[in-house]
Amino acid sequence: MIEFKNVSKVYPNGTRGLNNVDLRVDDGEFVVVVGLSGAGKSTFLRSINRLHEITEGEILINGESITKAGGSELYRIRRDIGMIFQNFNLVRRSSVMRNVLSGRVGYHSTLRMIFGLFPKEDKELAMRALERVNMPEKAYMRADELSGGQQQRVSIARALAQEATQILADEPVASLDPMTTKQVMDDLARINKELNMTMIVNLHFIDVARKYATRIIGLKEGEVVFDGPVEEATDDVFSEIYGRPVNEDELMGEA
Amino acid sequence: MKQHGKTFIYTRRIIVVAAVLLVYIWAFAGLPLLELKETSGEIVSAIFSGLFQPDWGYVYDPGGEDLLRGLLDTLAIALLGTFIASVLCIPFSFMASKNIAKTKTMVGSSKFVLSFIRVFPDIVLALLFIKAVGPGAFAGVLALGIGAVGMLGKLISESVEGIDLSAREALIATGGNPVKTFMFAIVPQVLPNFFSFVLYRFEVNLRAATILGVIGAGGIGTPLIFALSVRDWGRVGIILLGIIVMVTLIDAISGKIRARLV
Repeated sequence: MIEFKNVSKVYPNGTRGLNNVDLRVDDGEFVVVVGLSGAGKSTFLRSINRLHEITEGEILINGESITKAGGSELYRIRRDIGMIFQNFNLVRRSSVMRNVLSGRVGYHSTLRMIFGLFPKEDKELAMRALERVNMPEKAYMRADELSGGQQQRVSIARALAQEATQILADEPVASLDPMTTKQVMDDLARINKELNMTMIVNLHFIDVARKYATRIIGLKEGEVVFDGPVEEATDDVFSEIYGRPVNEDELMGEA
Repeated sequence: MKQHGKTFIYTRRIIVVAAVLLVYIWAFAGLPLLELKETSGEIVSAIFSGLFQPDWGYVYDPGGEDLLRGLLDTLAIALLGTFIASVLCIPFSFMASKNIAKTKTMVGSSKFVLSFIRVFPDIVLALLFIKAVGPGAFAGVLALGIGAVGMLGKLISESVEGIDLSAREALIATGGNPVKTFMFAIVPQVLPNFFSFVLYRFEVNLRAATILGVIGAGGIGTPLIFALSVRDWGRVGIILLGIIVMVTLIDAISGKIRARLV
């Protein structure tokens, strides 16, 4: 469960990234955040695991305040939140296995991690995570030998190995083609259903958002302008979020 | 761009040519007259006969100083010196990288330290360390150990500046503390280059170590300078041969390893 309590974020130059956001995401929801670029989608997502600091309010993860957490407490809360990035953010030179295992670093002592010693259970867990995204045979390839879609699925496996309860995905399909977009989104949907992991996904494409989301949050200039079940998010609602009629390039098409 | 007239281009060309000629004239005018001593020919032929009839007996002498021990000393000096440098350069490499270091002052001062070290040729450092710790292999090890930090630090910090930091964000998001994040997101990207540069510097240090003995900093240079001063050309020949074989061998091995690293 993620709770935003009157959260605002003002950048040093005065720009408002988030403006008085107050909402709650329950366990097992599939939330898609939409809005124009610059509307604060990325800031919204990154403030949840404190990759970005907020300037006002408080964010609670499963009842604990990540805003007030410091040091090891912060690391432990972050461990419960997986994150998927637009550009995959894998260590390209390392093997797929090592990338997936890097989701486990929060569970072990620093000394152990300096030597990269993961217990056998972790390796099995990582292998199961790779099986869940249909890539066990790629475990010992280098990450940069894989295609974009495959790399994104490795990063999903990393979040799975992390045994997180929530997954944040920042434009996970923006650098993928329609075919792989479908695979990646299907993976996320399956994980959401089978493992009851909460998904909060930033998306650019409206039709993809409608297909996968159970709830849509619309952001405009850092403010929540729509928050409701996907059925209520009509074309008119999207036009309002975007401040103009929906464009052709905001539809992916065949996906 | 401004168009220049033909005369301008010709005048400029003449000035450049004249300047280069003047530099040459000045340089050659400073040379002492080339003068061959009467014994020069004799010595040259003695050197060559020594080189072609090396003193094979010196290769291995169970009782005392011999070629193998000298070469081994040289190798050890190069190895230890490179090892020390490879450890010392690590903090500087990261502090001198714009994308890792927190402040500009840190980058600037680290870069300054690295350039300052690079100013000194190995032989000058060795002379300083001989004064500091006395003649012997230890002075040589310190000279190479400190001297190589300048080059290694610069090369490695440049390679650190070229790495992709996006994985760092991912590691932070999984709940990694700064040390874990560094080990997983940064180290794997730098390690191959690091080893490659260290090996390359080892090749350089090995050559440097052969000469360090000449000034008394240990290794094969010491017997070489003694043999030269008593005109024992056969011994000079075998020592030179030994150096050639060792350096070529190490270069070949290290080159092979480096080719596989990057």
